[in-house]
Amino acid sequence: MILEVNDVSKVFISRKAKTVANDNLSFSIQEGEIFGLLGHNGAGKTTLVKQILGLLIPSSGDINLLGKSVIQSPTWARSVCAMQPQSQVPLGFLTPRQAVSMMGKMRSGKNFNPKRMEMLFEALDMGEWLDTEGQKLSGGVKRLTAFCMTAISPSNLIILDEPTNDVDPVRRHYLWQVIRDLTRDGTSVILVTHNVVEAEKAVDRLAILHKGKFIEQGTPSQIKSSVNNLVRFEISMLDHKVKLKTPEWAISTNHSGSKLSFSLEPSNVLRTINWFEDQMNSGKVLNYTLQPTTIEDVYIELTSEKEIIR
Amino acid sequence: MNILSNFKYVFQMQFFRNIGFFIFFALIQILISIGIVIGFTYMMPDPSISTILYLATGAPTLILIITGMVILPQQIGTSKADGYLEFVRSWPVKRSVILAADTAIWILITVPAIAVSSLVAHFIFDPGYAMSWTVVPAFFLIALTSIGVGYGFSYLLPPELSLGVSQIVIFGALMFSPINFPMERLPEWLQNLHVFLPLHSMSEVMRASLSSTYFSATTGNYINLIIWCILGYGGAIFILNKK
Repeated sequence: MILEVNDVSKVFISRKAKTVANDNLSFSIQEGEIFGLLGHNGAGKTTLVKQILGLLIPSSGDINLLGKSVIQSPTWARSVCAMQPQSQVPLGFLTPRQAVSMMGKMRSGKNFNPKRMEMLFEALDMGEWLDTEGQKLSGGVKRLTAFCMTAISPSNLIILDEPTNDVDPVRRHYLWQVIRDLTRDGTSVILVTHNVVEAEKAVDRLAILHKGKFIEQGTPSQIKSSVNNLVRFEISMLDHKVKLKTPEWAISTNHSGSKLSFSLEPSNVLRTINWFEDQMNSGKVLNYTLQPTTIEDVYIELTSEKEIIR
Repeated sequence: MNILSNFKYVFQMQFFRNIGFFIFFALIQILISIGIVIGFTYMMPDPSISTILYLATGAPTLILIITGMVILPQQIGTSKADGYLEFVRSWPVKRSVILAADTAIWILITVPAIAVSSLVAHFIFDPGYAMSWTVVPAFFLIALTSIGVGYGFSYLLPPELSLGVSQIVIFGALMFSPINFPMERLPEWLQNLHVFLPLHSMSEVMRASLSSTYFSATTGNYINLIIWCILGYGGAIFILNKK
């Protein structure tokens, strides 16, 4: 076991209020696993991550990295666990090559391996910016540089806080590939994000954090089945003026512009497609898409205070 | 990994990340220090040699005060605001190593200004420098006190407040502190205040080592600086390690 978090709570007490940022959280991460931490802004994700790195001490509970208490050895914890922060790392006058190699030397000392750095740069296709000063780099390249600074040394655990923000779609793809490769060498990854769609594809297991509590934890398919197994049917209509009567088995219908969508039981899919063809013959609709419940649907259903109208 | 190599890499990272700023700042410091020595003589018609000696021995102290208690807090404020400080806290090194590396950088960039202003003063006015061996430890003691106090209040206070404090420090140090002129000219209540504040002790210790034949510093001055230095760094380390 790489990481074990047992009954961790963190309470912030100020003069005005008492805030429970983390409420009795427990989870563990195996070697080579990607663990997603999902949650709204202010759900307590960053507070939890800071405690794993030993930057904050839990109010109660304990955290063990490789079987050793983080609370007792915070400096050691930071040497086996690297973090890419959510905010951009201001590189100033450092070029990506300088920043990453200095970080590599700080983490590995004499064992720093320049070949690993070249491989990271190559895999992320960063060649053209390697010798550009940090302050002249675009947001995406800065973000990738910060990722390389985190991944430059072989660590047991790396924490990535929104690593794909600002990164273009092609390099996002490369980035996920690199993260997967890291796990093959035994590195475990905590992915902190509110980009649920991306997380669903990338993670092995995930936990949804809401108001300091885990409301769901497991593999993506476990979590999806915990809510419902409805299918979403979305129709593009000829134009927004068209009025369409939905079939009686449609659940939670939503009409927005020229799009109409509703959920349905999987057993009703065939009927719905037949129904759609009738509508098409009468010239009211153009096409449809059919998709299973996503983690995003589950996430919204579990975390939203208000009724979501789709 | 040992502390020394940690220090080396943290120093490199911090120094090269801000190298453009440091060069610019060292140049500005040279201008300011020469400005203090030469510029203030314009404000006083026929300055006596002792007035010039006050200015010439006060300039290095002011450079150290500006660096430690004005520029440094501004830098800390920026790195607090843009999240860099939080990132630094996640590095796999002891906080004291980071503080030591940063301190070394700040000390380093004051050296050109202090050297140049002293040389300029010597060649233009020949105010009668008489350097004692204490100049090196005195320089370090004053620099560490100034930087330590700067660290202390800029980590302790929110950025806006520490910016305000640094504005008061620069104005107070230039106009209301016995750094460029003798203590006796100040009203009594300010004299009493300066017994506790580190500014006067800094200037006394600097003067005593730059012109040992004219000036001397008391043991009280040294003790004052050591206490402020410990308070400053202690506060900074306390905040850095706070969880």
